Amino acid sequence: MNIFPFNLEPSLCFYVVVYVLTLVLHAIFMTYVLAGSIYLAWASMFPGKTAIVRARSPLAEVLRDWMPFALSAAITAGVAPLLFVQIIYRQEFYTSNLLLGWRWMMVVPVLIVGFYLLYVVKSKLISQWSLAARGAVTVGVAGCFLFVAFCWTANHLLGIDAARWPDVYATGAVVSSVVSLASRLMMWVSGAFPVMCMLALWQLVYYRRRATDVASVDRQHSGPQFVSEIRVLARMGLGGLALSLMFATGYAFTLDAQIRGEFISDGIVWAPFLVVGGVFQATGWFRLLKSEGDSFAIRVLISVGCLSMLVAVGFLREMLRISKVDLTVVNASVKAAAGVGGFELFVGFTILNIGLMAYCIRLVNRRTTGE
Amino acid sequence: MHMSHIYPVNDYGPLMPGLVMAAVAIFHVFLAQFAVGGGFLLCYFQWLSMTGRNQYAKLFVHGYFKVLVMISFVMGALTGVGIWFTSIQISAPTIGEMVFNFHWIWATEWSFFCLEIVAGYCFYRYHDRLTDKAALTLLVLYTFAAWASLFWINGILAWQLTPGSWVESRSIADGFFNPSFWPSLFFRTIVCLTLASLAGCVLVNMIPNLDRPAQQSLVNRAAHLMAPMVAMPILGVWFLMAMPPDSRGWVLGGSPAMMLFFMISVGASVAIGGYAVIGLWMQRLYINGATATLLLLLAFGATAGGEFVREGSRKPYSIRHVVYSSGILPEEVAELRRIGCVSNDPFPLMHEPGLPNETVTLGAKVFRRQCAVCHTMEGSNAVAHLTESWDADQMRMNIAKLQQTKPFMPPFAGTPAELEALVSYILWVQDDRPSEYAVSEDQAVLQQIAKWMDEAGTQAATVTSMEREKR
Repeated sequence: MNIFPFNLEPSLCFYVVVYVLTLVLHAIFMTYVLAGSIYLAWASMFPGKTAIVRARSPLAEVLRDWMPFALSAAITAGVAPLLFVQIIYRQEFYTSNLLLGWRWMMVVPVLIVGFYLLYVVKSKLISQWSLAARGAVTVGVAGCFLFVAFCWTANHLLGIDAARWPDVYATGAVVSSVVSLASRLMMWVSGAFPVMCMLALWQLVYYRRRATDVASVDRQHSGPQFVSEIRVLARMGLGGLALSLMFATGYAFTLDAQIRGEFISDGIVWAPFLVVGGVFQATGWFRLLKSEGDSFAIRVLISVGCLSMLVAVGFLREMLRISKVDLTVVNASVKAAAGVGGFELFVGFTILNIGLMAYCIRLVNRRTTGE
Repeated sequence: MHMSHIYPVNDYGPLMPGLVMAAVAIFHVFLAQFAVGGGFLLCYFQWLSMTGRNQYAKLFVHGYFKVLVMISFVMGALTGVGIWFTSIQISAPTIGEMVFNFHWIWATEWSFFCLEIVAGYCFYRYHDRLTDKAALTLLVLYTFAAWASLFWINGILAWQLTPGSWVESRSIADGFFNPSFWPSLFFRTIVCLTLASLAGCVLVNMIPNLDRPAQQSLVNRAAHLMAPMVAMPILGVWFLMAMPPDSRGWVLGGSPAMMLFFMISVGASVAIGGYAVIGLWMQRLYINGATATLLLLLAFGATAGGEFVREGSRKPYSIRHVVYSSGILPEEVAELRRIGCVSNDPFPLMHEPGLPNETVTLGAKVFRRQCAVCHTMEGSNAVAHLTESWDADQMRMNIAKLQQTKPFMPPFAGTPAELEALVSYILWVQDDRPSEYAVSEDQAVLQQIAKWMDEAGTQAATVTSMEREKR
């Protein structure tokens, strides 16, 4: 089968699929945090002139309430792709880590600062602070996550540019092309918004329908406010989608012409997923923008579109990266890794743990005292 | 043969990279073990509350869990990622081998980590609305998942020191259930309980509007989790017996630094255990916030000492019989002695300006490739200071027979010319880095170095001593 990744050696194909699927899981939470923090920073800096300021809108309340958990989930979900990237791209990943050096090591303390600031943003205390102080904190949070996004982007680009490694070590210039890095970074940042909007849409609908522990969200979920919030999401979703497409095109033009050609010809099989994903999302968001409410079908349409695009982007990303590595070395290494054993253990315990996680969620939904 | 990839080496100034690793690792281990023990403590207090044995227990559960989330979920999870990043910075070949051989074990641990986060967050968010039974169920699941994380990671960490029959069989089960797995697991579990108990004592003193008798009742209950400490000496001896003889020898006096840290760990544990037995159980003393904090700091010291010993006693390996602490594999030594250890190193020298000639420059590269993981030139564990009493010939012989000079050092893995270049570099630094520096070009010197290297062989001293024992 000449479809990436199924055209690879079986072992490598298997690890690439596992890597991409776990990466998508991580990306769902990561994009929620990244786009959510940028939205909150914007809402704090520009509160608007409506009855309910942006920073106190249901959307902002939901984001504030759930972002610490989402970050926790993003970090937890991020462990798996971090593990598999070391199996597939051991040399490339380690070398780019080392070349980024202190910048890479800063990711952890910056994330810790960002994490604690999220709790500050969530606390009641911050509402008593001045606009400038609130703005500084929310901008600080967004800054932390944008820095982490920059580091991952730089790491990725460095990893696929082995010819530059000695030069980067000598000069410390980790960015070879600002345009390439900026377009790739902006593609991910803008692409984070449609995913965040999709998740937030489900959350807002959930809070509207059920008694909730976020009282302010409840109060503001009266019809007009809800419709207004949905439209905000629709605008952001559409805008993010358009911008990510624009930056992706820009990034494609920074690639070497031959690689771009190969990328387009080999990656064409994933185009339907991208197109269908984009059309589904655009249709869903347009419908929400024009109508007075939402529907389950629209939410499903947007979600399927989102997931379809994420999976397609994930595989295309790896297709490009694998074209830059020495396949003989990678195949040999991955084949050997596949032989060490333990996969059955992972499958068995993962099924058990998914069941237990579902049980936890069911428990909190049913076994409450009703207070 | 296929040689390992050469990675760039970063310079940490006067800090040796191992210290950076130790700092992150100790901090993470302390937090992670606190998180595991915290689960047990919370289950116990929830049970106390449900059975009416302590009316303040519920208050404690809710307060403690917030602390657990704020510290463990944030710092614990992120320093865990930090360990990975730091390991890559310090020794990419080592972490690469660990991931390569145990990635499905790590992935299994990840699935438990997910359960830990979900169960923990469900409790954190909804605990005030849950029935007691549901709350206990969530806490039990959280604790089970957290301890299971310890279970899986413990196997990988123990494998680094005692791979056991895995060396021959390469079976994942042999590697995971290696000789030090069980003593290490039980020992760490008790450490977890102790840390949680001490942190609980600190927290009890911070609960507002709680009178002294109420605080005392909670402190005494929290101290129950220190009871298993009585098993620590037995488990400690078991662990020591499971260690390879050479590693055990260093801990028990062969290496002063290792023994010092071992004694710090033992001393701090005895102090905590003594206070627990005499103060909290026998005399049922009250423990105030300051004392509890001090004991917690002692526990941090014990953890730090223990982790230092665990890391240090693996030398000359970072993974016994698999990777040397220099990042070079044992099976590569002979080939590197033939082709040279830096002949394929593409990375230029960056942190040593003003090198006077090619020989010294080569020596600086050899130092970076073979020494820089554990040594600096003039900072901590400085080679220039460690060798300052040696003359040139002595230095040549001692490095050529490095594994015999110091059994916790790996064999030199380069050509005689590279060894001579390393000696020149060290001497040049000891001579205050003059701008012009004459180096020996005497072929007889290189021949003598080659002879010494052949005499010492290409294997670690630990391997030759094992063979001697077998004979």
